[in-house]
Amino acid sequence: MILASATGFAVPHIDYTAILPELILIGGSLVLLAAGALNVRHLPTRVYSLLSGATGVAALIAGIVLWQKVHGGGHPLTAVAHSLVIDGFSTAFVILSACIIIVSSAIADGYLRREGIAGPEFHALALLGASGAMLMAAANDFIVIFLGLEIMSIPLYVLAALDQRRAESGEAGMKYFVLGAFSSAIFVYGIALTYGATGSTNLAQIAGYLATNVSTSNGLLLAGAGLLLVGFLFKVAAVPFHMWTPDVYQGAPTPATGFMAAIAKVGGFAALLRVFFSSFHSLEASWQPILWVVAVLTLVTGAVLGLVQRDVKRMLAYSSINHAGFILLGLQAASREGMSASLYYVFVYAFLVLGSFAVITVVGGRGDTSHAIESYRGLARRQPLLGFGFAVLLLAQAGAPFTTGFLGKLYVVEAAVRSHSYALAVIAMLTGAVAAAFYLRVVFVMYSLPAGEAAPAMALADGGALATGTEPAAAVAAPAGESRGGVLVAAPPEAPAGAATGAGGGLRLRAASLGIAPSTLAGIAVTVLFTLALGIWPAPLFSFVHAAGLLF
Amino acid sequence: MNTGFPYLTVLVLLPAGAALLTAVLPSRSRALMRAVGWAGSLATLGVAVAATVAFSSGDGNFQMVTVHPWISALGISWALGVDGISLFLVLMTAVLFPVAMGGSGRHGGDKSFVAWMLLLEAGCLGSFLSLDLLVFFLFFELTLVPVYFLITGWGYERRGYAATKFFLYTLGASAFLLVGILSLVGLHAQQTGVTTFDVRQLASTHLTGTEGVLLFLAFTAAFAVKAPIFPFHTWSPDAYRESPAAGAVVLAGVMAKLGTYGIIRFDLELFPRAVVTLAPVLLTLGVIGIIYGGIVAAVQRDLKRLVAYSSLAHLGFIVVGAFALTGPALSGAVLQMVNHGIYTAALFLLIAMIYRRLGSFSTKDLTGLQRKAPVLAGIFTLTMLASIGVPGLNGFVGEFLILSGTFLTHRWWAVAATAGVIVAAIYLLWAYQQVFHGTPTEKEESFTEITWREGLYMAPLVGIIVFLGVFPGPVLNRITPSVDRLVTHVEHVAHANIPAPGQPVVAASHSANGGNK
Amino acid sequence: MSVPADFYLTLSAVMFTIGAVGLLVRRNVLVMFMCVELMLNAANLAFITFARELNDVGGQIAVFFVLVVAAAEVVVGLGIIVAIFRRRVGATADDVHVLKG
Repeated sequence: MILASATGFAVPHIDYTAILPELILIGGSLVLLAAGALNVRHLPTRVYSLLSGATGVAALIAGIVLWQKVHGGGHPLTAVAHSLVIDGFSTAFVILSACIIIVSSAIADGYLRREGIAGPEFHALALLGASGAMLMAAANDFIVIFLGLEIMSIPLYVLAALDQRRAESGEAGMKYFVLGAFSSAIFVYGIALTYGATGSTNLAQIAGYLATNVSTSNGLLLAGAGLLLVGFLFKVAAVPFHMWTPDVYQGAPTPATGFMAAIAKVGGFAALLRVFFSSFHSLEASWQPILWVVAVLTLVTGAVLGLVQRDVKRMLAYSSINHAGFILLGLQAASREGMSASLYYVFVYAFLVLGSFAVITVVGGRGDTSHAIESYRGLARRQPLLGFGFAVLLLAQAGAPFTTGFLGKLYVVEAAVRSHSYALAVIAMLTGAVAAAFYLRVVFVMYSLPAGEAAPAMALADGGALATGTEPAAAVAAPAGESRGGVLVAAPPEAPAGAATGAGGGLRLRAASLGIAPSTLAGIAVTVLFTLALGIWPAPLFSFVHAAGLLF
Repeated sequence: MNTGFPYLTVLVLLPAGAALLTAVLPSRSRALMRAVGWAGSLATLGVAVAATVAFSSGDGNFQMVTVHPWISALGISWALGVDGISLFLVLMTAVLFPVAMGGSGRHGGDKSFVAWMLLLEAGCLGSFLSLDLLVFFLFFELTLVPVYFLITGWGYERRGYAATKFFLYTLGASAFLLVGILSLVGLHAQQTGVTTFDVRQLASTHLTGTEGVLLFLAFTAAFAVKAPIFPFHTWSPDAYRESPAAGAVVLAGVMAKLGTYGIIRFDLELFPRAVVTLAPVLLTLGVIGIIYGGIVAAVQRDLKRLVAYSSLAHLGFIVVGAFALTGPALSGAVLQMVNHGIYTAALFLLIAMIYRRLGSFSTKDLTGLQRKAPVLAGIFTLTMLASIGVPGLNGFVGEFLILSGTFLTHRWWAVAATAGVIVAAIYLLWAYQQVFHGTPTEKEESFTEITWREGLYMAPLVGIIVFLGVFPGPVLNRITPSVDRLVTHVEHVAHANIPAPGQPVVAASHSANGGNK
Repeated sequence: MSVPADFYLTLSAVMFTIGAVGLLVRRNVLVMFMCVELMLNAANLAFITFARELNDVGGQIAVFFVLVVAAAEVVVGLGIIVAIFRRRVGATADDVHVLKG
């Protein structure tokens, strides 16, 4: 199946089944763009979302078929002249990326219709980004990792800047772009130096070279590996390369933030784990102490700076930095178990973060602006199910037992303990406890009564108008009568008046029956169920991840 | 040993299932919620009683053991078992939950209140019954979530502060416990090649002196905060004070025991050598807790804080009993855990009754309740005397065993602890005198007598206080074999390689019938 | 007489450093883009040099990929800048419109 000769430019045989999930996503993206371009009047958003979701399902099926193939054969395959490797590890990430696309399509659907954003761009970009993440997971060559990284990142830059009405969105896109391009350039330079030191960009060949040769230009190699690490750490938002994260998370449209938070970590960690476990395994003694320091900084910074945030999106940005620290724990352990643990954590994290940002999308309201913690006051009393779901997702991130969040922390900490990093394990769990403080603050606010409001049921009477106190969203939402995209079902004509009383009476949200798109709710429900069900009965995901780690 | 009926699994899953049922039922009907709460907790009590009957008294090993693989990739299994040490804690938990729900007044019909209480019961029972360290840890942590919501949802003025403080303190301390558990499992796997979290297998792990001490400290950090043991108690007065009645009952009555139970079950079982090395330190902390708790309680103007600090003193007793490392002292500690759970619960419920009538926890607002409500005052007197340790009531038996057992090996600590008993008597009598034997204020003129409903849930507690005071034999008969096994184990391991530090540990030689006072 | 490879590598390192420092200190977005380009081209130079040293075409091929990606990046980056710029103008126009109404 392989077969490019070493000397010439023979076109390699391409095993299309091996890259089918990526092809499906790219194909789906092209179909979406074509459908958008060929129809003068935009198709309903629902159609685009369904197409995107269906593409995700197709990619998921293709991924599962690949998994069966790899699992049945019991050994990894390489494809396209050894530049891709199809093993348990890569297919696990392919499956995860497909799941992210499916859930994210559902969540974004409600947002796009609420905001009246017509056109297929969001979904098309998301599909492209996910295909890039898949490519990073399957890459067996630094150049392919770089291509995957760019295919993933460039759509994410655009997604961050997608919301034309808010200046923050454009600013987020630009910041993300500049720093992303900077990190890409560092990454490429790292590839060049590594290539110079080892004579190849192929991961397996580099591993073989390093295993057999005592490198003569060790400085060159270490510099290359160091630059590569910096590039990766930028992408996964590890301290000290995290500066972009809070701004970008806060500025980007909320569903895009959720998608970006999930998919960027998937792609970044997939490639990071593979590169450092396979190619640079023999340099372990050099990078382990560096990662120790990076992990501690990441854990502590994420937890401590998260404490002082008043904006929930910004708070979750720091929380995701803290999570990145936990995932680094598994890498720092430099063991097969650590790799499985990191893989498990990424799985768990992706669903948690998607669900959390989905709830934030809902609470953000028309215009996507009410993200202060105060917007959540009394949420659980007005919308018990939504509040409960968010509480589960937040507590899981804090590591509450019988959720996947706890098991993820357990798994990585166990890997750290097994490699005798006791201090790191303790620091990690302590930062987890500190981070719990800010998750709990949101939970507490959700479960307390709205300020100055005795009867929580009053909010239900507010004819669907979003009322966010003094924030400009109230003005945006004022013509609530014209329900764009059919999200606002039957807003009564006196809605603006309702908004006015709401602005006077405190911070309130639209009632569940009036405001939340069913697709978004379904997306949230999936993530909450995933978190609870696999927290109580964890065997399936554990054995899946375990098998994925073995088939490396 | 495996009886046909899976008592223990049912004990854990029944309240959890009832909690789930509560969550899915429509919340409109408060009576229905109340009924589900009662039915769930009473059914659990029934199973607990049946398990107690099925428990064979002469056997010191784990009984009714069930083991099912759970996360086999990590060697975690659903392993439950009960022995003399955990049996009565389980029974006490099963008794206190329906009582606490009964004593929770109006919000006893709130859907989420009932659901959280039942989930908390499942968490507490799961902690007492787990033989798998990780399952224990899961349940141990699980208890935090319902308590957090109970305090924030139905607590008093500073509930947010108190609940968060409680949550973070215990979660932070648990970080050490988790790393300790994983390190121990890692060491065990290194030595035997078997990855298991089963405490019975882990007990055979060989630990060097330093490893043992470090692991002991990691475990004890979590337990000391949970209990709480001086100086890790600063969260507890706030949490007790701001909790609703049911929350305070469970926090002080049941969850405090998770800490001391953890010390006895895991520290003593797993790290005997470290326990022998560090016993003087823990004994000292226990005695400081007794004296400090007593003195600080004496100056409290708030009834709930007063009970919180007196709890600190009583938990100090339990710690002293656990680290004296003699049979009688350890039996006394186990019995005292049950005793303390019962009378502290009764005290918090009585305080809640007073609050319901007067709207105050402050001793300043309370004078001369005796005239207006003699029955309530009588029950209060009895409970208080039990907590002081008056002979004939349950507190005496436990404290007597602890002090006499400790005297055998650690004379001066026992003497200091005895001083604590006297302090305890002073502060409680003083508070009692203020609250009950004065001239009623105007506010108190309307003070009403205990109602039938209140009497209904107080009756079992009063019954247990008296029963355990006059007739502790059947209970001690079941506690003693397990305690003897544990003390023998500690001695065996501790003296296998190293000479005993200081005085030799006295063999467990007290008679099986502990009611000889 | 051929120029030693070290010279090229040094030049590449200098270019990379200039680019990195420029990106960190300059505040003009267009100049920052140029700095990124400088860094990427430094990498390209290193690739070519190593390819010649190693007598391997892999490095030269890598350069093509990097060039393509750099072009794509610039397209998107400029697109974002234009969008921001347009939005600003548009917002101003909107303001005027609101004042009139």
